[in-house]
Amino acid sequence: MTGADYSSLGVADIQAGLAAREFSACELARAAFERIEAEDEHIHAFLETTFELALKAAQRVDEALGEGLVPQQIGALAGVPIAFKDNMNQAQTHTTCASRMLKDYVAPFTATCVSKALEAGALPLGKLNMDEFAFGSSTETSSFGPTSNPWDLDRVPGGSSGGSAAAVAAGFATVALGSDTGGSIRQPASFCGVVGLKPTYGVVSRYGVVAFGSSLDQVGPFGKTVADVAVTLDAIAGRDPQDCTSQRIEARFSDFLDAGVKGTRIGVVPAFLEAKGVEAEVVHATTEAIAHLEELGAQLVEIELPNAAAALAAYYVIGPCEAFSNLSRFDSVRYGYREDGGRDLGEQYEQSRAHGFGPETVRRIMLGSYLLSSGVYHMYYYPAQQVRTLITQDYAQAFEQVDALITPVSPRAAFKFGEIADPTSMYLSDIFTIPINIAGNGGLSLPVGLGKTSGLPLGVQITGPQFKDENIIRVAAALESCYPNIARLAPSLGEKRARFEGGVR
Amino acid sequence: MRELQAVLQDWEAVIGLEVHTELTTLNTKMFCSCPIGFGAEPNTHVCPVCLGMPGALPVPNRAAIESIVLAGLATGCEIMKRSMFYRKNYFYPDMSKNFQTTQGPVAFCMGGNLDLEVSGNAAGERAVLAGTRPTVEEGGYLTSIGITRIHMEEDAGKMIHVGGTDGRISGAAYSLVDYNRCGTPLIELVTEPDLRTPAEARLFLQKLRQIYLTLAISDCSMEEGSLRCDGNVSLRPRGATELGTKTELKNMNSFKNLHDGLAYEICRQAEVLEGGGTVLQETRHWEPTAKRTISMRVKETADDYRLFPEPDLAPYDLTDEFIEAVRARLPELPDAKKRRYIELWGLPAADADNLAGQPGLSTFFDEALTLCDKARPIANLLLNEVSAHLNANGIALAKSGLTPQGIAELAALLADDTISSKQAKEVLSLMIESGKAPSLIVAEHGLQQVSDSDALEAIVLEVLAANPDKVAEYRGGKTGLLGFFVGQVMKMTKGQGNPRLINEILRKRLDN
Repeated sequence: MTGADYSSLGVADIQAGLAAREFSACELARAAFERIEAEDEHIHAFLETTFELALKAAQRVDEALGEGLVPQQIGALAGVPIAFKDNMNQAQTHTTCASRMLKDYVAPFTATCVSKALEAGALPLGKLNMDEFAFGSSTETSSFGPTSNPWDLDRVPGGSSGGSAAAVAAGFATVALGSDTGGSIRQPASFCGVVGLKPTYGVVSRYGVVAFGSSLDQVGPFGKTVADVAVTLDAIAGRDPQDCTSQRIEARFSDFLDAGVKGTRIGVVPAFLEAKGVEAEVVHATTEAIAHLEELGAQLVEIELPNAAAALAAYYVIGPCEAFSNLSRFDSVRYGYREDGGRDLGEQYEQSRAHGFGPETVRRIMLGSYLLSSGVYHMYYYPAQQVRTLITQDYAQAFEQVDALITPVSPRAAFKFGEIADPTSMYLSDIFTIPINIAGNGGLSLPVGLGKTSGLPLGVQITGPQFKDENIIRVAAALESCYPNIARLAPSLGEKRARFEGGVR
Repeated sequence: MRELQAVLQDWEAVIGLEVHTELTTLNTKMFCSCPIGFGAEPNTHVCPVCLGMPGALPVPNRAAIESIVLAGLATGCEIMKRSMFYRKNYFYPDMSKNFQTTQGPVAFCMGGNLDLEVSGNAAGERAVLAGTRPTVEEGGYLTSIGITRIHMEEDAGKMIHVGGTDGRISGAAYSLVDYNRCGTPLIELVTEPDLRTPAEARLFLQKLRQIYLTLAISDCSMEEGSLRCDGNVSLRPRGATELGTKTELKNMNSFKNLHDGLAYEICRQAEVLEGGGTVLQETRHWEPTAKRTISMRVKETADDYRLFPEPDLAPYDLTDEFIEAVRARLPELPDAKKRRYIELWGLPAADADNLAGQPGLSTFFDEALTLCDKARPIANLLLNEVSAHLNANGIALAKSGLTPQGIAELAALLADDTISSKQAKEVLSLMIESGKAPSLIVAEHGLQQVSDSDALEAIVLEVLAANPDKVAEYRGGKTGLLGFFVGQVMKMTKGQGNPRLINEILRKRLDN
């Protein structure tokens, strides 16, 4: 099997191939690494590759197959090459959060989402690039250099889970895990033309995932198809005694792939399509998707989310406050980057943190530290929590009327490196995804083809009621069937060169 | 400096306490399953959670919540059905996450009180009895101390600063951290500023300790630091209603230190104020050997801990069922026990108080009472002979080999005059030595007291006949000689004569 053969496979293809003995799990692992070695130097999705671990996992799958088991008996992800965002602890690997602060940090334990994926038989390819501590929307804040968008190497893959989206779009990993605090799964999925799902807060355990905003963070899967994302979510979802915010999940998401949308009520939010700064091609793609859903038999309902406009403001209070506190542990005392030149402990803290963290991380910490200080707390943090309650109520009321919502993911397609230098403009790229984190609901980005103007991948966002993520899967899978011809994979490097150098899009 | 007694004539001291108690009787830490323990090898009772490793998350220990609810119910607090954990953010290496998980404005337990009965010498410190009720006991009074709240938090690790001066971090060559204690569940009780004398403060802490011990939520060892108490103290002229500037007193790691530290601080503040100075708002350290407090740091502004709700822990909802289940587990508390001992068993108040305050001893007492209803002899044995023996040998009652059965039997032997109280002591030490039942010991050693009045009468007559001159002297008015005759009779009964009967018979024979 060549790397190219491997790159187009989905989870079902892998399981069928393994069952039919067309290839072994070890061959899959080797093909994945062939692909990564050939192309990742141009993309930089991986911060660390773990070929040995993948091969060991593959050997176990092959042994089980040799004993006569079928892939599903071994595990829902048996033989499926997977990669993890580098804020997820996996014992024996580095967990850097793309920060100089944790450059040499080796995890002493494994995150629940990672161990569940591995128990399901997945092959761990390595750890993926991200914005430093997930602070960003472009992967440009990584201390170890940005990741390129596999569709156009001059453009960002989105962020903060840019490495995860790029790894799937480039055909390195069949599925990948990312985390989403304000859009960090959905926006890069949209930019890279893959499927990315942030489940309802509490569906996937956060234990072992380095926290950014504890009340907002949620782990979710990336894949080339809704089916791959659903089966991966099935493998990692559920109550974890080590995360008391995680919940018992009854639904099997992959059971809803063929349920269709006939008779469902789907909400559209006119205010989102009319919002300032939304590119015409995004409005066009979303409108087209809405029309497809109507054709499929869904009933459309116009929805108002009166408080959603305040979500960004609330998010940039709550997020930095939680981040400030979560990142306090990186103090150079027990682990992490340390500068010893200080005269006392205070100077050691200051110097180590000033140079161990990048500028965006420092900005968020300082913001959080200010917002929580006495006298200021009641002007920002407290009202932000009140706004949060209102937005949560908006969504709860909306989902009394509809089974799912369809909106844009991002106001625009992937931008060029350095194109957005002003932090506030960068923050605005998450206006459609942030309200969902504030409310705690689930949301998915589904690729709907290339933008009419940009020629770059665009996605639409399907969101659902809390703990009804199966609605999202159901609607997304139905809508996906309306786009049978869109590319599931970014053009290979050779194709890309030909396309862009020839000036033809 | 003036004496405390004199100072308190002019000044009213306003004292509030903050009492930290480690829940040492739990098996595991507050937010992880590491064992709780004192004296283990450094950094062996640790895991990613209590070490604050990136990605680790807290999970609250339900048993710890039960313990704090017990404490709240026992001190008259309202148990809040919904309370939250908060993060208190500050940088210090003993706190691995650089924030302490604690509680916010609403703690698990809010607004309770403890009644203090202040008597004897302790009552003398309170010159003015405003706000108190006199007790029957002369000079004693009753006062009620408000409890603001009891909240749950996690303890920090322990640091040892090597080199430098007086064990402080500044100037140290290096510092060692032991995270074994990090994450140990701690409850902090805060009182209202209702205490007025160091004696009241000591009494409050003693009473609180007795309650916690009765609840079995902590070993309450001030030496090992599982019970720690800080005091806030300020002075105001008698009659004034405004509060003065307070200082916070630390390092009072015994009841005596709590009393003496506060007493010193009150006198020091009085001296400052009387000299026209002002008291600085500061934290002061009590030095027991030098018998003085020294300034640790001056607080110009309040510390900004950036307190906010802990997002990793949902608000904690306590159901009525949970609270009622905990209430059902509430043991009889020292005050109720004391009343029962007085009213039902006729113990003197001091004995009742003494027993009720010692959970081990009172449980033993109650068990013995189910076998023998001679309450006073049992109480006397436990409070005197048994306690003296345990203290002298530094052993716990549970490990002494004594059983409630044994003590009940011994008390019965005393009560029916089989043995004298002098013999009881002997039997007790033989019980501890051999573990044998008292009746067996009495039989083996022939220790029964002679209570046969005919036999005693014969001996009395023999003694009187042998000492005609002494008899004449006695009858001539020298009644002090009675003791001589008792001694002679005792000698002839080899110490086993019943002293009460001997006295009776002697009187009868001599006075007629």
